[in-house]
Amino acid sequence: CGEYQSLLKSDDAGAKYTYAEDLYNQAQEENSKKKYRKALRLFEQIVPQYRGKPQGEKLSFLFANTYYQLGDYYLSSYEFERFQQSYPNSDKVEEAAYKKARSFYELSPRYDLDQTDTNKAIAELQAYLNTYPEGEHAEEANDMAAELRIKLEKKAYEIAKQYHLTGEARAGNYQAAITSFTNFLSNNPGSPFREDAHYYRFDSAYQLAVNSFRDLMEERLVEALEYSQEYKKYYPEGEYSEAVEASAEDIKSRLQNF
Amino acid sequence: CSLIFSISSQAQGLPLADGKKYIIGDIKVTGTVSFNEQTVIAYTGLKKGEEIYIPGDKISSVINKLWDIDQFSDINFYITQVRDGNIADLEIEIQEVPKLNKVQVTGLKKREKEEIIKENKLRTGAKVSENLITTTRNYIENKYRKEGYFNASAKISTSEVTDTTANTNLVNMLVDIDQGDRVKIADINFSGNEKFSNWKLKRAMKNTKQKNFFRFWKRSKFVRADYQEDKENLIDKYKESGYRDARIVTDSLVEVDDKTIALNLKVEEGDQYYIGNIDYLGNSVYTDAQLQRALGINKGDVYNGVLLDERIADETKPDGEDLSNLYKNNGYLFSTINLVETNVYNDTIDFEIRIVEGKEAYFNNISVTGNDKTKDHVIYRELRTKPGQKYSQEDVVNTVRELGQLGFFDAEQLEPKFVDPDPQAGTLDLEYSVVEAGASQIELQGGYGGGGFIGTLGLSFNNFSLSGIFDKEAYKPVPMGDGQTLSLRAQASTFYQTYSLSFQEPWLGGKKPVSLQTSFSYTRQFLFDYINRQADRSRSFDILGINVGLAKRLTVPDPYMTVSHSVGFQRYNLNNYNTGLFTFGDGHSNNFTYTFGLTRDNTYVNPIFPMGGSKFKLTAKFTPPYSLWNGVDYANLAEQREYQLEDDNGNLIDQQGNRVTPENAVGDQRLIDQKKFNWLEFYKVKFSGEWFTQIYDKLVLRTNAEYGFLGAYNSDRGVPPFERFFLGGDGLGAFSLDGRETVQLRGYPNQSVVPLDRPAGVNDDGATIYNKYSLELRYPITLKPSASIYALTFLEAGASYDNFRDFNPFQVNRSAGAGLRIFMPAFGLLGIDFGYGFDPIGGQPGANGWETHFIIGQQF
Repeated sequence: CGEYQSLLKSDDAGAKYTYAEDLYNQAQEENSKKKYRKALRLFEQIVPQYRGKPQGEKLSFLFANTYYQLGDYYLSSYEFERFQQSYPNSDKVEEAAYKKARSFYELSPRYDLDQTDTNKAIAELQAYLNTYPEGEHAEEANDMAAELRIKLEKKAYEIAKQYHLTGEARAGNYQAAITSFTNFLSNNPGSPFREDAHYYRFDSAYQLAVNSFRDLMEERLVEALEYSQEYKKYYPEGEYSEAVEASAEDIKSRLQNF
Repeated sequence: CSLIFSISSQAQGLPLADGKKYIIGDIKVTGTVSFNEQTVIAYTGLKKGEEIYIPGDKISSVINKLWDIDQFSDINFYITQVRDGNIADLEIEIQEVPKLNKVQVTGLKKREKEEIIKENKLRTGAKVSENLITTTRNYIENKYRKEGYFNASAKISTSEVTDTTANTNLVNMLVDIDQGDRVKIADINFSGNEKFSNWKLKRAMKNTKQKNFFRFWKRSKFVRADYQEDKENLIDKYKESGYRDARIVTDSLVEVDDKTIALNLKVEEGDQYYIGNIDYLGNSVYTDAQLQRALGINKGDVYNGVLLDERIADETKPDGEDLSNLYKNNGYLFSTINLVETNVYNDTIDFEIRIVEGKEAYFNNISVTGNDKTKDHVIYRELRTKPGQKYSQEDVVNTVRELGQLGFFDAEQLEPKFVDPDPQAGTLDLEYSVVEAGASQIELQGGYGGGGFIGTLGLSFNNFSLSGIFDKEAYKPVPMGDGQTLSLRAQASTFYQTYSLSFQEPWLGGKKPVSLQTSFSYTRQFLFDYINRQADRSRSFDILGINVGLAKRLTVPDPYMTVSHSVGFQRYNLNNYNTGLFTFGDGHSNNFTYTFGLTRDNTYVNPIFPMGGSKFKLTAKFTPPYSLWNGVDYANLAEQREYQLEDDNGNLIDQQGNRVTPENAVGDQRLIDQKKFNWLEFYKVKFSGEWFTQIYDKLVLRTNAEYGFLGAYNSDRGVPPFERFFLGGDGLGAFSLDGRETVQLRGYPNQSVVPLDRPAGVNDDGATIYNKYSLELRYPITLKPSASIYALTFLEAGASYDNFRDFNPFQVNRSAGAGLRIFMPAFGLLGIDFGYGFDPIGGQPGANGWETHFIIGQQF
């Protein structure tokens, strides 16, 4: 380790380069985070010095990839981006594009937190797929993009569903649920949450109607009935068919009073 | 195939007008360069043998790329020769920006010199561009002018460093500053003013003031920007009084001498105008009369242009009560209101208020960004703006305020953004962008007090996530984001240890705002020998407490009411622990209670300094009435054999230790009390009411009345010595073992106000009844979020009683005084009060006199 320590302190960029590359190769073979970390410390020191020099291209890529291997996706996405911009003609540029997108994918948080990184990941994955439709990682990129889109759909769905859940306690939340589910349904064709969204939209409208003042009730019952028909149209034998049917009957009998 | 084409076209670039295709031969870099030649070439991306158009866009982009790094002052491309028809040798001539070697500042003191160098970043190695020189000069001159050095000037010159050994490209910089004298305004002269006196006009100019003997501590320097602003203030002053046409005809600055100037302003006042007819056009939602009421300016009023604009739309107050907010708070986001003067005759102006109401706006999509810790459901349940709801500016403002109050986000950086407002469809999206703030606190303390070392460790997580505790990923460093509160606290010293844990979930089940609060605490205390300063570890007193409560905000009868229920259990365990507190030194006592609470709080706006509203609180605490069914005859315990005093051999004895017959046996007080207080039996009712009344401006009166009563179901069993009221002093919760309640009564020492008819010296037991009244006048000194400070004066009266027979709400201990409170979010509340007690306490002959109270972290 003495050699490594003295290298860290020395000014010999060339020696650092060789040693760091060595460490990087070993780390790759042994899949050793420790070695990646050691290589990284050297890379950090020499990357600025080699910027613009012939070795810079390779070094930049190794540097970015080290962050990537260490799971520091925030920095790897940034370094891959820089690599892409600095060396657009490099033959590593496809891998860099993929790994940049992948970095954002890894940064994407659970569905109920801010989805800025998810949106970035989807955009980057799409950019990768557009540039390299036959690329090495096209299939994975497709899968990741699909997964992230479902995450965004889940977010929108859960927010709408919370309005439904809190409808009883907070005035106006059933109305908010109806609007949110309607937006959800028109924005997300083919989402796995569609059936639930249809059902909860109907149920929100139904709950809103039956808890209304009399002069608002008829209009709202009719609206709810329309949603029940829509559910039945798309899901004639759906998970919630029975519940929808029962509520629809109730609506019809209530409508007799008007 | 097309792919290959595109790559090749990328490499050689596109030709400009008469561009010719060349193959690059040698590339040379000339000029003043400290960079390696190869570095420059590699940076340009040009390669030997590459095909390129000259002129062409590739060359242009290379030049741009070189410019972009800000290192060069001149860049030229030359073809030095063309060989074999199309092989071009290139020369890149670049002129590097010189670097700063040394900077010298003259004309200033050393410290100021360093400041100038630092603020303009004139470090060795900085690039000396024209830009740097100009901005530095402007910076210096403006800096001194702002401070009143009206004639300040800075001259900057550079000289090349001549070094025979190498081409260094360094320059020295000389900054010569002539501050000049500070220029003061000797005189401000007005002419043409008849309606307003000179004095009044001078007062209207807020930052431009004449030198004056009385104003020696305030500035009277001349700053041009302030002067311009003050001229506008002057005109506004006229406009406020109906002089609509007022203007400054000329103004001049006269240099009286080197150090003083005079300002001469000539004004033209014009006539005073009055409001004529106000007509409303285009209003369908509100009637003319409603709008007129909202406007609050009537025919015949003096024309006040400033006020009129404010009543229509006050830019400085987003939640003000003006005409445009009347519309905006009711869904008409897309409304526009214009004021037009239609007719001016003599001194009267007629107006038309032209309103385009537009379509009612509805929120479509509401989103939150930036929450990288707090989960959606915690935020969305607090939002007052909802999809499908009519737009209301008030709701937006309130939502921002309430999100800030959650404490999870930086309140300063909360901002609502309107996304895609669509006047045609009448919809808009709203995005709240939040920035997470640290919501956790750690408290680590060590100190010497109470006869030994005391260490405290406290952790409090205000945005905890209980559901995340089994999720390994969630530990960053603790599971966060469900809006729950978890606090842990441990305190230990040589003679006692306290551990407590509490957890709170504000929305139990997620459907309704029902909050769940649980807490657990354990205290162990050893008998402390103050003479030897040692704890006796064989004699101890343990208290174990568990509490679970639910609280719910009601919607009926109004949304300010909260109902709470809680169940608590305490176990007191004494192990050879004899103090004045209990008659038995060995034994235990259990306290199982149910507490019902009802509060109504509609105080507004600032919780630290309410300006109005009231707060009522009623709590009732009960234990089960054990004596109803347990069949123990508490009145005659002393006559039962098992509670009678006996010696070690089991023989009955009297207090003096003489053996007695069963007829003369006496009760053993320790055993009797142990039986009586085995399971505590009592009920306790408390009421308090607070009213806040705004007297004048920000002067607020707080009126407060409170009562408390502790009673027993079974008079034979009696009221336990626990849970009692102690009146007097600062009212801070002292370290209490017995569930006592301390009640603030300033002007008297802590816990000193005991029932009147008690024999002197019996102060240990608290009272079972108390009442207290207080009047407090408060005035805020500042109410900034970083620190709120207010001053107060008070009148208080209170008394405590042992039973209802003695209760007399007017026989009270009175006091008066004044104090100060400081609230800072980082420290909580700090305060000091000086109170004078008018009545005697504890057998004193006269009034109690002055007392000083320090108040720390008490409720406000």
